[in-house]
Amino acid sequence: MKKKSNYNWRTNTLPALVMVGPVSVIMILLVAVPLIYVAVMSFCSIDEYYNVVFRFNIQNYIRLANVNYLKIYAQSFIIALLTTVFCLLIAYPFSYLIARTKSSKKKLLYMLVIIPFWTNSLIRIYGWRTFLGTNGWLNTLLQFLHITKEPVDFLFKQGTTVLGMVYCLIPFMILPLYTAIEKLDSSLLEASSDLGAKRAATFFEVILPLTSGGIFSGCIMVFIPCLGYFFVSDILGGGNSDVIGNLIERQFQSGNNWPLGAALSIILILITLILVKIYQAFGGDMESLGV
Amino acid sequence: MKKNMICMAMAAAMTAGLLTGCGGSTASGSTASDAGEVNVFIWTEYLPDSVVKEFEEKTGIKVNLSTYSSNEDLLAKLKSESEGTYDVIVPSDYMVEQLIGQDMLEKLDKEKLTNFDNLGEAYLNPSYDPGNEYTVAYQGGVAAIAVNTAKVDLEITTYDDLFAPELANSLVMLDDFRAIIGITERSMGYSMNETDPDILSKVQDKLLTLKPNIKLYDSDSPKSAMISGDCVAGVMWSAEVALAMEENPDIQIVYPKEGAYLFMDNLAIAKGAKNYDNALKFIDFILDAEVSTEISAEFPYLNPNAAAVEAMGEEYSANPAKNPPADVFSAGEYISNLDVDTLAIYDEMWTKLKE
Amino acid sequence: MNRQKKAKLRSGVGKIFCAIVYVFLFLPISVIVVNSFNATTTKPYLSWKGFTFDWYIRLFDNDALLHSFGNTILLAVISTLLATAIGTLGAVGMYKYKFRGKNIIDGLLYIPVVIPEIVLGISLLTLFAKVSIPRGMITLVLAHMTFSIPFVIFNVRARLSGYDISIEEASMDLGANRIQTFFQITLPVLAPGIAGGALLAFTLSIDDVIISYFVNGQTKTYPLKVMESIKSGVAPDVNALSTLILIGTILLVVLTQSDILKKHKTAK
Repeated sequence: MKKKSNYNWRTNTLPALVMVGPVSVIMILLVAVPLIYVAVMSFCSIDEYYNVVFRFNIQNYIRLANVNYLKIYAQSFIIALLTTVFCLLIAYPFSYLIARTKSSKKKLLYMLVIIPFWTNSLIRIYGWRTFLGTNGWLNTLLQFLHITKEPVDFLFKQGTTVLGMVYCLIPFMILPLYTAIEKLDSSLLEASSDLGAKRAATFFEVILPLTSGGIFSGCIMVFIPCLGYFFVSDILGGGNSDVIGNLIERQFQSGNNWPLGAALSIILILITLILVKIYQAFGGDMESLGV
Repeated sequence: MKKNMICMAMAAAMTAGLLTGCGGSTASGSTASDAGEVNVFIWTEYLPDSVVKEFEEKTGIKVNLSTYSSNEDLLAKLKSESEGTYDVIVPSDYMVEQLIGQDMLEKLDKEKLTNFDNLGEAYLNPSYDPGNEYTVAYQGGVAAIAVNTAKVDLEITTYDDLFAPELANSLVMLDDFRAIIGITERSMGYSMNETDPDILSKVQDKLLTLKPNIKLYDSDSPKSAMISGDCVAGVMWSAEVALAMEENPDIQIVYPKEGAYLFMDNLAIAKGAKNYDNALKFIDFILDAEVSTEISAEFPYLNPNAAAVEAMGEEYSANPAKNPPADVFSAGEYISNLDVDTLAIYDEMWTKLKE
Repeated sequence: MNRQKKAKLRSGVGKIFCAIVYVFLFLPISVIVVNSFNATTTKPYLSWKGFTFDWYIRLFDNDALLHSFGNTILLAVISTLLATAIGTLGAVGMYKYKFRGKNIIDGLLYIPVVIPEIVLGISLLTLFAKVSIPRGMITLVLAHMTFSIPFVIFNVRARLSGYDISIEEASMDLGANRIQTFFQITLPVLAPGIAGGALLAFTLSIDDVIISYFVNGQTKTYPLKVMESIKSGVAPDVNALSTLILIGTILLVVLTQSDILKKHKTAK
């Protein structure tokens, strides 16, 4: 009897512990515990020296339900939505054209998409700022060509933030779409056109449904990070088009109100959860987000 | 598909490895570890790299420099990092008061500050640190107005003028809630430390009329936007204006008639500093007249170092942007700490401005 | 005839569209490369003051920048190794064994993948501050390892889905012990998934800004150094380093890829 349980320990429990133990410990200690702690902190307040005081209240959430904050959430959503739409509109035809290229250049074309993203993302965003400035490249060119007399204001607007977000996040749209489109069976497309379907009909009834998985995962991988990318709106938005990430960053840095920042984070987590649920409801596969 | 991306990751990794190979040796070559190190936490654009290098060469102490953009950033980092992360810090007047109040500063061993006497009498014994127990003055200045006179027809003499509709979408402002709200309060004739909720609600109304004029918030290097032409006017620290004036003569400094936002930044040692002696050496080095001159040459703020001011002569003292006139100081105001409730009102105003 | 014309037009429009997208992707890169040759020495380094190679030399005097770069590589290597080891073991273990709370661990794995990085960053910051772990390389490694592990696990799992566990039993029947079996049977099968996960982890680590920003303490990584330099105008030496990295990457890609192409041809 005793021997048997020992055997069980050696063959099952010990190896399972060795293999699953480390990952479980890390996920619990460095993901679950911190998030629970943030949730607890969101119900705390601060004293006059900005120290966190553990005294339960829902003051932070009441403050965040204020119209001012709601407007920033809305602005955040608009930025994320515009970014997702633009990414999709650019990435879909682009991925389609590249993925369906028959020439030997396909590999090169694909690589040309990836190469820019091996340069640090912050410095590329700053590159846009140099390019779009009042005396930047674009304005110099426009004036040289006599298209405009006075420099055009491109920088520090909501549109500039969206541009930066699109630029940062578009590979996350291109990659899943490319995979999905490449998997399309060309004989299926031929069959559809042989059967007399118009191009538009083939697209909407065959291609689109078959690539919808790629579209959904692309959208979720663009939309959610967009809500948190505070540095893009800092560099290109000039502080005029904050996203939720900026609010959180401010409370944890200059605002010094960690409980308020924690409450904002909880709201962001809830938004993420809702979006993920919607994604799953549309048949989205969670693992495809991480592969 | 994914593999291609991955190949490239490998490539990037290898390149990186190669580069570090060369870099690593350079870095280790110049690092003298025997004399230890000192962790300096200071405002962005406030200490020349050359001064850091000289200090390292002279003493063999390695300087680890980090930067912040506002007093509140400094406080946040001091609170969140474990004690002893930072040695030398540079808080402004009101923040010194708060840090002393929370016992977050070490007392200075003034015996070891051989250059202490270089400081001008006017900058000794400040109200926020009587007897200079914890701090010595580093640099000061004014939240002044910068105007590109070639691009702005309006005559600007006050903070209030910045609210003019003609300046729509053209200002660069400090990304600092006390500064912007303070400016608005001054423009209405109130104190920058107003606590009366009724007055503050009027301030908020006026503050929101400034919103359409603000193109960019930048505390770190607002002069950049003036030099690049992205903004044609704005409020920034006086030395930033001085530097912008050197790059573009059309840019001028205006000290607002209502009385300006004043500040004095101070060298201090954070509580629990691991390198207390090195920190003292660093502070003493900064107080050296020659070093101080060098700092003023690159970041021309108001210099409390009398010996350095004497050495710099006319070029410094006659320049109104570098050395603000005395009446600016008599008319101006320092900010002070606010209570929690007032702070919440200020924070609300700031959020509303930024929405 | 008409139809051919239409097809031609369509492909022409397609090509132009792709070209525009490529221009969009490479525009900021060209700004970086051009500015690395700018002779300007005054902040904010925007106006063009002539062509120079100086910054490529001065770059090697910028200890702080080079040091931050070394930190980034060190951090990426260590966190990738840890994440790969722990993730691979975890993926296999979760595939083979049932245990209480498995669903919970499974659910937790999705969190770092989907929630915005800033939330992970501040939650780790609050934890580290609470238990007074000094911020620095150790906390950076912990943070990077944490957000990398799920990516490793998902990649390994993708390989496991077609994996027949009975070959492990066969191996043990033939006298191999558990550890030998793991290294000689299980690992080779999973290798592509492990490599994929590891390289993804490495990639995420070298470009991470947001999470590092909250847990770095006094340790600067290259992205954080760039973030600092952006505040006062990006100095040409930072551009020069970025250009070198870019050139190195492209060179190695060309080398490895042309190699593959050659092999492909000979195989034919």
